Parts: sequence; structure tokens; C-alpha cells
Amino acid sequence: MINQPTGAQLVISTLRALGVDILFGYPGGAIMPIYDALAGSGLTHILVRHEQGASFAADAYARATGKVGVCMATSGPGATNLITGIANAYMDSVPMVCITGQVGTHLLGTDGFQEVDILGLTLPIVKHSWLVRDPAEIPAILSRAFQIAQEGRPGPVLVDIPKDVAAAFVKDVPTTGEFPSWQPPQPDVADIKAAEKLIEQSKKPLFYIGGGVEMAFAVPQLRALMDRTGIPVVSTLKGLGAIPTTDDLFLGMLGMHGTRAANIAVQDADLLIVLGARFDDRATGKLSAFAPHAKVIHVDIDAAEINKLRMAQVGILGDLKMVLDGLHPKMQDISLWVAKCKSDKKKHAFRYDAPGTGIYAPALLKLLSEKAGDKFVACCDVGQHQMWVAQHCQFLQNRAHLTSGGSGAMGYGLPAGVGAKLALPDHHVVTVSGDGSFMMNIQEMATLRRYGIPLKIVLLDNSSLGLVRQWQRLFYEENYSEIDLSDNPDFVTVAQAFGLDAFRITSRDEVDGALDRLLAADKPTLLHILIDPRENVWPLVPPGASNAEMMEERWDEPLDSY
Amino acid sequence: MSHLIHIEIDDLDGTLLRVLGLIERRGFFIDAIEMYPIDDKTRGLSVTARAKESHRRFETLYAQIDRLYGLKRVAEPRKAAAAQKLSA
Ligand SMILES: Cc1ncc(C[n+]2csc(CCOP(=O)(O)OP(=O)(O)O)c2C)c(N)n1
Repeated sequence: MINQPTGAQLVISTLRALGVDILFGYPGGAIMPIYDALAGSGLTHILVRHEQGASFAADAYARATGKVGVCMATSGPGATNLITGIANAYMDSVPMVCITGQVGTHLLGTDGFQEVDILGLTLPIVKHSWLVRDPAEIPAILSRAFQIAQEGRPGPVLVDIPKDVAAAFVKDVPTTGEFPSWQPPQPDVADIKAAEKLIEQSKKPLFYIGGGVEMAFAVPQLRALMDRTGIPVVSTLKGLGAIPTTDDLFLGMLGMHGTRAANIAVQDADLLIVLGARFDDRATGKLSAFAPHAKVIHVDIDAAEINKLRMAQVGILGDLKMVLDGLHPKMQDISLWVAKCKSDKKKHAFRYDAPGTGIYAPALLKLLSEKAGDKFVACCDVGQHQMWVAQHCQFLQNRAHLTSGGSGAMGYGLPAGVGAKLALPDHHVVTVSGDGSFMMNIQEMATLRRYGIPLKIVLLDNSSLGLVRQWQRLFYEENYSEIDLSDNPDFVTVAQAFGLDAFRITSRDEVDGALDRLLAADKPTLLHILIDPRENVWPLVPPGASNAEMMEERWDEPLDSY
Repeated sequence: MSHLIHIEIDDLDGTLLRVLGLIERRGFFIDAIEMYPIDDKTRGLSVTARAKESHRRFETLYAQIDRLYGLKRVAEPRKAAAAQKLSA
């Protein structure tokens, strides 16, 4: 008996064999055999303070490294607490493996204590999932789970392990299982030729890039194709950083809170070359009015995305690296178009000369990213502050803008900071949060303290749910409903109680010194920043409107719809 | 217009619900379902589905089914062969 491993021990040994160095989790009844095997195994386990934190931290670890993030929770409430993080990883195609404990197999379906059908609950938000019934299958299932999480379009995979399966001894210890290594579909040569032809015919071509570029590790290939063709680029929220935001040909983010230059270019382009992006409604605005003059080349690793929302004249299924390497169009003269794009970029550049002495968050965030330089990694929460990061921070590297895109999950920022800082200890990892979002996972400050994770937190406090407030102001006749947070706790005291360094600034002349102090800190540190609740995110395309209709309110002009 | 979709699914937990749920969730009515055994580990599933709105494309649904694991979309059901085997 002694030499026979349990299912739980096979979980741990397989994770080690798969090269896992860190996992995030929280123990409980049904997963106790696995925690028993974990102790002393050499695997680094980060005990978060809420399972949602584990799933977000694993997600951010995966985004920052390109490796699989791993999280673990017990059955029932532990498992359901992971769900928001699983959905988040699914929407943003993040490779993640979630291991949940489950009640013993004899109790399945009997409403056993802490029984929840987590496999059933998560069916629509996982790439794949298993309920393990035979402990001998654990190595093979976990190995396959890691492979599935990463192959093609990445995503989360759930492995639910009943307690008796984890506790059982396994007689013949199986190996991890050999699977044919996954080969990306070879792009069709005829499709590549057809794409080249469209590019050669185009007078106004434009790259529309998404998160797929960095996920496919295709950044150098995109760079090279840009150098070959001189075609300008717009990016989705998730694509930011694949091309340095300081690049001459980079026009900014497109869509609801995109730059004018990006949205104008999309509306004028005669060809959109869509790379690892999926025509999300926040990016396209009213779909029927999106890029009305453009033909579309759509390159994706997921066949289900091509022609899903916008018909492509040329759809190319395949690995982005291969496709981009294969494209060698003979360009016609597009200099007039490029000059127009660049002049729009200049003409509509963001302004930072806000009146008054209050802290102007866009200027602060811009300065923060410039001071942090190419080591800057932002972990955002959701709201106005998130959009300001996307609009105003410079990103010189990919995998440096970690944001809950497709899911828009408040509460992502702090646990994401935990995962990202552990993945990238030498970077300036900064969680940028709002006073609403921060409270959703505020308990993870305890995780920072426990492990001494020197995350930097920028908390932009407008004493309200700012983005909701903005919409109520613009689209609900200033009927402010349930957005006031003026009774927030004193965040500096709270952070200090958790053992963080924390300080507050309220006026513009304090910004420079505060950012220097924050960036120099070698302990977890929170910078609490009071800002004007009336500040809004501009430009804004109203929901359901065409991206040509960008609203903007500037200090020297009334609210305007262009 | 309705389409008849033939799928072969494995015997693991969740596979049947995974594919039926996907068809509904992605905007299609399921009008009829038939299941039949193929071998010890495989069941055949034929689904008659109809788009709830005109912009829902079957090509997209097929690609979404094809990216699931544990099942395979097939052109012809292997029903007859299975029935023969069972009666033999
Ligand atoms: C979990 C979750 N609940 C609700 C929302 C809806 N929502 C989007 S932004 C927002 C306000 C966010 O407020 P805060 O974090 O203070 O950021 P601000 O907009 O003020 O910068 C809300 C409630 C959401 N995105 N996620």
C-alpha cells in the first residue's frame, strides 16, 4: 500500500511534471485530500482570501507569462466562487486550469453537503471540463487539460475531482499520457494570395488587431509586416501593447472609448486587416455602420470567429505567425492615407491641460506609465479608470496591459496584481482601481501582506460608481440611481490595517512626488487619489450608435456630438 | 429553415448537455432530438435545429460545435450499423 499513490498525490505529481510552479487556491472539505498531498510537495501555493481572487490571480499569471494559470477550490461555494474568474478567462481566451473538489461519487446527485454541479454550471464558460471518476486517469486528464487550455484559441478548463477519487490508492501508476502534439491549421496558400491581392488593391488599408496577436506570440511578425507595408494600426482593448502605443503608425484603441483618430480611420478605410480580434460590440459600435467602405481580411485561429459578425472577403484560418510571415504584398502608394491618419492623430490628440488644481486622472496615469517605462504592467479594474488606462497609459510591451475585456469584471484588478507581480517580480506591476471595484476583492490585500508581494496600487477614488454615473448623466437624464459611494471607508487606514504602506493625495502638485514614492516602494503600497466625481471618459460612442458618432465634452466647449 | 445535425458523442459527463446547451444558447430552437447507441463509448445524436433569428448562421454554429471536445460532427449517422450490431 505504502508505495501506491493516491489520486490526490497524482494531482500534485502531475502538476509538477507539467511544469507548474505556482497555483492559487483555497481549501475546504471536498478538496482536503489534495491539500493534504500539497503540503511539503514543493509546489508553491498562494492562499488567497476568496476563491474569486484565486481565479483572477491565475488568469493574470497566465496573461503575464503566456503559461497556463492554475487555481483550486473546494466543492459547492468554493467552486461557485471561481465562476466569475472562469467566465472572465473564457471571454478573454486565457489559458487556465481550475481544479475543484467534489463530494464523493456515492453522494453525487443526492444534494450532498456542499454539492454543486460545477461541471454543469460552467459548461458555457469553459473550453472543456471533466468529472474524474477513476483516479488512475488523473495524470492523463490533467495533462490533456493543460494541452486544451493552450492549444488553438486558449481558454479555461475545469477538472472536478470527487473526494473519494482523490483519496483512493492507485495500483498501477499510469504515466501522464501521450497526446499527439497539437498542430495549428496550416493557412491556405490561396487565401494568403487572395489577401495579398486585396492589400495590393487597397488605397486605405488598416490593421485592426486584438488580443490574439500577443496570445499567438506573433508580435515580431506583426512588427515585420508593418515595416514591410507601412500600414497604420488600430487596436482593441486587449490588443493594446502589441505595438508600442508610442509608435508613429499606432492610432490608438477603436470603439466606444476609442480615439478619434482610430475610429475615423476605421470608418474611412477601404480594407480592414483583422488580426486575432472578433468584432466585439464595444469595438464596432453599431455593426451595420462599422467600417462601411472596407473589405475585410480576417485572420484567426478559431474558425467560429470568421464570418460570425462581419462577413470577410478573405478569411484565413491559421496561426497568426505563419500567416503574417506569409504576407508579402507589393504595396501601392498609400502615403496620402497614412498622412491623413497621422494628421488626425495629431489633430485629435488627448489634451492634459485640465483647468483647476484637482488631480486629473488621465494626466496622472500617463505620467505613471512614462515614469515606469518599459517595465510598466497595469492590472486594471473596471470602470472609468480602466478606460483612462487604455486611453492614456503608454504601453511599450505586450502582456503589460492586463484588463478584464470581454467580461468587464469589477474586482479583477487587485487579485490580478497578485498573479502578475508573482509572475513578473522585476516589473512595475501596478493595480489601477476605482473605489467601487476595489471593494469587490479588497480582502486580497491580506494576500499581499502574507507573501510580501510588493504590488503597487493606484486607487482612483471619485466616491461613486463613475462609469455608471456617466451613463446615467448622458443617457438617463441625470437620474442618479445607486451610484453614490461617499460613505467609503478611509482606504488609507484600511490598507494600513492590512499591513500595507498607504498614503493619500488630493491636489495636482502632489502627483509627481507621489508617483516617484510609489514606484520606489519595495513593499506593497497603496496610493489613494481623490478625484472629481464629475470627470468623465471622452470620447464616447453612445451604446448602439455608429463609431462615427463620438461625443465629447471639453473644458472649453459644451457637450458636443460630432 | 431547419437543419439536421448529426453528432457522435463520447460517454463522459457533460458532453450531451454541452452540445445541446450550445445549440440553444447560440440562438437556435431544437425541434427534435434522436439518440442511438453506436458502440460502448459512443452515442449518436441527431438534432433538428432552427435559427431563432434570421442573422443566426448555421455555418457559425457548426464551427462552434466543432470546437467542442468529446464529440464529432458527421455527415451521415451510423445508426443503421449500430442497430444491426445490437440486434445481432
Ligand atoms: C462585477 C461587476 N458588477 C457591476 C458592474 C457594472 N459596472 C461597470 S463599471 C461600474 C462602476 C465602477 O466603479 P469604480 O470601480 O469606482 O470605477 P470608476 O468608474 O468610478 O472609475 C459598474 C458598477 C461590473 N462591470 N462588474
